Amino acid sequence: MVKLICPLCSSTVEIPDDALDGELFEHDACGAQVEVYVEEGKKKLRLAEGISEDWGE
Amino acid sequence: MARISVFVDVQREEERLLIDAARRLGHELEVINVMHSVNWIDSRPPGEELGVSFVRCISQSRALAVASYLHYSGVPTVNNPEVLWKAGDKLITLTLLSKRGIRVPETAVAYSRTDAIRAAERLGYPVVIKPIHGSWGRYVMKAHDPDSLDDILDLKETVANPTFKIHLIQRYIEKPGRDIRAFYLWGEVPVAIYRVSESWKTNTARGARAVPAKLDNEVVEVAVKAGDFIGGGVLGIDLMEDREGEVYVSEVNGIIEFRNTVRVTNYDLPAEMIERSIKELRR
Ligand SMILES: Nc1ncnc2c1ncn2[C@@H]1O[C@H](COP(=O)(O)OP(=O)(O)OP(=O)(O)O)[C@@H](O)[C@H]1O
Ligand SMILES: [Zn+2]
Repeated sequence: MVKLICPLCSSTVEIPDDALDGELFEHDACGAQVEVYVEEGKKKLRLAEGISEDWGE
Repeated sequence: MARISVFVDVQREEERLLIDAARRLGHELEVINVMHSVNWIDSRPPGEELGVSFVRCISQSRALAVASYLHYSGVPTVNNPEVLWKAGDKLITLTLLSKRGIRVPETAVAYSRTDAIRAAERLGYPVVIKPIHGSWGRYVMKAHDPDSLDDILDLKETVANPTFKIHLIQRYIEKPGRDIRAFYLWGEVPVAIYRVSESWKTNTARGARAVPAKLDNEVVEVAVKAGDFIGGGVLGIDLMEDREGEVYVSEVNGIIEFRNTVRVTNYDLPAEMIERSIKELRR
């Protein structure tokens, strides 16, 4: 497992070592849909796109 | 000590900060995930036990629904649905503020492609084109010439949501590499940040850097007025300065995100938000 920071709630998310670029996960702690992406060989997370036209402030 | 309720769907860092602050302050707290609850519309009151209710849904449609249910059932709600509705719609916000003498970027509302292009011609390029709803800078675009505006309008025609076919065409303000987010709490502006970015879009959700801002008199005065005109409560007022130092209100946010503000200013915004709201609303 890799520990990453959730882009929505900033707490840790555990992502399997074999997670793929573009794979989607639901973060149980906050309910966010997060997407794994790879930058400079490192796995990172961003909010999954396109699920939430009305999200925000 | 007071009773407070926090209504959430997904929980951002802000919701955690708010919940932590409520506990720290010793309030009796209930957190309600609206995704796992039902609101019955009947003659029974929704319950005295809710106390002052903070609506913190990340989905603006859900937030408006929850706030409406609570407010019209007689529960003191932050923010009340009319405020959320006005702040959630840039057309309403800009119209309300501009008619009451607040400087906003020159803006036209166009309902057709042709008129959008005409309005842009009158404003002069570049223009900013944005939908009436939306946040985090989504679908906010800049067109440098009629061709790129045409392409943007093309794209918008393909979006199913009909509100995307109402175009706000706005004069582009040459900002000094930042904008200002002022936090309005019940008639006062105790804290503000600059959002500094290389990009012309200065949303922190898009990577802009938060820097503590000095509370300039003009900024505070404009932000307080803007918040009052929208209907009060707890708001995020976005302001832009131009080359000449003129200050414009660009929009008002009804469900504020403040994690970066708390981090860079150490101002206990969640605690202030709770305490001031209780003071205003507790009967
Ligand atoms: N007329 C304009 N001139 C220059 N920059 C602008 C203009 N309108 C918007 N911007 C920039 O684009 C960003 C996004 O625009 P705007 O605030 O209207 O959208 P939003 O999606 O409601 O963002 P949020 O609610 O997260 O602040 C602003 O933070 C600002 O930096
Ligand atoms: Zn999370």
